[in-house]
Amino acid sequence: MADIKIEIDGQIVNAKAGETLIAVTDREGISVPRFCYHKKLSTSASCRMCLVDIEGVPKPQTSCSTPVSDGMKIHTQNDKAKASQKAVMEFLLINHPLDCPICDQGGECELQDVAVEYGSDVSRFSEGKRVIAASDIGPLIQTDMTRCIHCTRCVRFGSEIAGMMEMGGTGRGEDLKIEPFLAQGITSELSGNMIDVCPVGALTSKPFRYELRSWQMASVDSIARHDLTGSNIYAQTYKGQVKRVVSGDNEAVNETWISDRDRFSYEGLAHENRLLAPQIKVSGQWKEVEWDVALDFAVKGLNKHVLNNRKAHQLGGLASNTATTEEFYLMQKLLRELGCENLDYRLNINNLEQAIELASNIKLEELESIDYALVIGSNLRLEQPMINHRLRKAQLAGAQISAVNVKAFDYNFKTNHSTVAPQEIATLLAGILKCILEKQSIELPAYLAHVSSGELSLELADKLLNAESSVIVLGEHIVNNAQAAGIAQLVTEIAKRVKGATLNVSMTANALGAQHANFVPTSSGMNANEMLKADMRAFLLLDVYPEYDFHHASSAIEALSKEDVFVVSINSFNNDVIAKYADVLLPMAAMYETSGSHININHDIQSFKAVVQAPEEAKPAWKILKVLADLLELPGFHYENSTQISGELAHQSVHEHNQNSALALNAKSTKIETIWMHSAYHSDVLLRHAKSLSMSKIGQTNIASMSASTAKELSLKEGDYYLGVPVDITSDMADGCVFVSSNQATMGGLQ
Amino acid sequence: MISDNAKKQIDTWIAKYPEGRQSSAVMEALKIVQAENENQLSHDTIQAVADYLNMPGIAAAEVATFYENYNHQPVGKHIIRFCHNISCMLNGSDDLIAHLETKLGVKTGEVTKDGLISVKKVECLGACVGAPMFQIGDQYYENLTTDKIDDIVDGLK
Repeated sequence: MADIKIEIDGQIVNAKAGETLIAVTDREGISVPRFCYHKKLSTSASCRMCLVDIEGVPKPQTSCSTPVSDGMKIHTQNDKAKASQKAVMEFLLINHPLDCPICDQGGECELQDVAVEYGSDVSRFSEGKRVIAASDIGPLIQTDMTRCIHCTRCVRFGSEIAGMMEMGGTGRGEDLKIEPFLAQGITSELSGNMIDVCPVGALTSKPFRYELRSWQMASVDSIARHDLTGSNIYAQTYKGQVKRVVSGDNEAVNETWISDRDRFSYEGLAHENRLLAPQIKVSGQWKEVEWDVALDFAVKGLNKHVLNNRKAHQLGGLASNTATTEEFYLMQKLLRELGCENLDYRLNINNLEQAIELASNIKLEELESIDYALVIGSNLRLEQPMINHRLRKAQLAGAQISAVNVKAFDYNFKTNHSTVAPQEIATLLAGILKCILEKQSIELPAYLAHVSSGELSLELADKLLNAESSVIVLGEHIVNNAQAAGIAQLVTEIAKRVKGATLNVSMTANALGAQHANFVPTSSGMNANEMLKADMRAFLLLDVYPEYDFHHASSAIEALSKEDVFVVSINSFNNDVIAKYADVLLPMAAMYETSGSHININHDIQSFKAVVQAPEEAKPAWKILKVLADLLELPGFHYENSTQISGELAHQSVHEHNQNSALALNAKSTKIETIWMHSAYHSDVLLRHAKSLSMSKIGQTNIASMSASTAKELSLKEGDYYLGVPVDITSDMADGCVFVSSNQATMGGLQ
Repeated sequence: MISDNAKKQIDTWIAKYPEGRQSSAVMEALKIVQAENENQLSHDTIQAVADYLNMPGIAAAEVATFYENYNHQPVGKHIIRFCHNISCMLNGSDDLIAHLETKLGVKTGEVTKDGLISVKKVECLGACVGAPMFQIGDQYYENLTTDKIDDIVDGLK
């Protein structure tokens, strides 16, 4: 686009030919009122509020839909422009109720702001106003459609960004209503963004309803930590409580959108199950005590059980993947100073010998410009919503996307979907690699000699070879595949051959932070699963909830509950399971209550401050670990704030993992494989306590999907339960496997 | 939900548009399905049309609720489609609609007890020159008066 000069209100400004006038005025900081225009959505020019006067054009023009051209002279403030804007405002206010005092949008309402500037204080309209009956569109969004001004931002958000058109305009003229068609209401995993884009009080946050006025709250920027994106957010607080979360802008990370999970998880902070005071177990009875008593008890217990007898190798440290990078770092430093190498955050993996090692070497923004993506083993839309959003943008721009999953998941963009049983994934990938090597006339390694490339392998190999830029995305459903490590190696190999990128979404939350902080055992230490089997004397746990976090849930609980095993458990929430095995409970600050950093898929280290103070006696985990280290008389823990830890961490070199250089595929499993995934709104402890999310359709997900033949083999029918989860027999599933998506604990499930 | 016959008819409309643009046939598809369902569309039939054309239900509902040709309530054998837009209104359509309602003993949107006639207010039918006017079937009746309306309605069987 050519550079041109235009004149706005007598001021010469530079612009690109063809860009819209409103984009120029926004860039130049010239205020033009608008309702329907949104920089990330298509132009509808329906509200007419942005009318301006352009010299030589008889009628005022909408600046959101007028492309600029060289020499254009625009007046945004002259009589003609002002008169048009005023007239539009008067029309918009005809049907809009003047109920600002009881409207949740009051104080942060675009209509209110513009009305103050352009509106008249007296209405000439004496007829009846239009009223629209209230409707319930789900637990997250409160509607009051009488206030709707038909800007259609929510409708366009649904069809253009969320990829599912749920809202629409029905009726005509004064009967036009913005509403969802389906009785189930709004179900998108990004639905909360409709609240942010709504310029009036028609769509507001339901959990936040009637809570506070926007000006009463302090808005603090923070980072959401439920997935690999680390979306930028603003946490809005009042009297030490997070009251609402809204999206922040960061083009490189989340643009301007956030997932519902990031938006509504704060509700869990005030849950009654929060652990609020240190507790110790004395002769089987829990007792609330002061911090120094609890810490002293913990230190004495650790000394007695392991340290005094030089048995640090019988101590184990386990942490949840939601910890901050600083917490991971401090905990591994503490354990290693004690001479303990047994530490792990990879709790949900069946066989850590087969742990996935795969690089993520493409940035979120770059995902948009790929022309081919192969997604393996991921229901990306629910598991990593913002990564899915970037791929969707790539697809809309013309990229082809293939998905290889056990189930035909509902992606919100066009995919070539193949359902493949977990047992066959490695063979499929080996087949792809073989095709590629053959086409590139490269000698085949031994392990590919007996692989036969099926039709699907050929097709996917062709697509990868023909793509200018490709990415292979490996998801969480693969972590417990019997051949997981081999699959990851094949993916790396294939990507190398086609000069494509890889994206490892087989882990989530702050798993990259854990790796960065070396929170993985070296060869002399035990991994999570080994610890469960070994003769341990003590455990230090950081926000671990074994009934959900562990793949081997009941073995974990058993190992922790063993007699004479001393368990120091640092937790943000309490429950009966923890109470049974722990000896000391130390209450920790949850998300939003602690400072630290999160590492996202771009490898951006995004740091955040504590937004609110932890309730009652709860303390940030880094402080607990620091004091614990001091009391254990370990050197080098003189930190005053988490930034000092980050500083030290920055100079730390990351251990290279022993990569198996020779690729050897493990034998494939022959039994029916079960993939257990927590539903998207139950993937970490804060989410599990967020009330409104749990009530939403995604939060209610609890099904065990299987094909008819698998069901027959398992002697199950519709209405039965599989591992405690209702059976869903569907033709969308590959044979020989079950896909569980559940909001329940893994307890009693997989072993 | 959609009969094979209706599907066949809809397919001929889909064929008129470029591949992948089957949703362009939504207006005809709704019309065809409505004709098979006692001249009205329900939530479910709209969803069925949307599914058949691979478009969101709400997008089909937007079309079905925008145009007056689609009925969302039971209708009579004859539908009197009374224009109430500006030209007709200025020429007295409000009074004539009231007269019609009294005569038939129904409100607009309702059906007479014998199921013969229903009255519907519609947007401009492009016959302002003959305002006030209404449409029954394919026939326009213009320059209406109370007497003229009585004659027309009495003639409906």
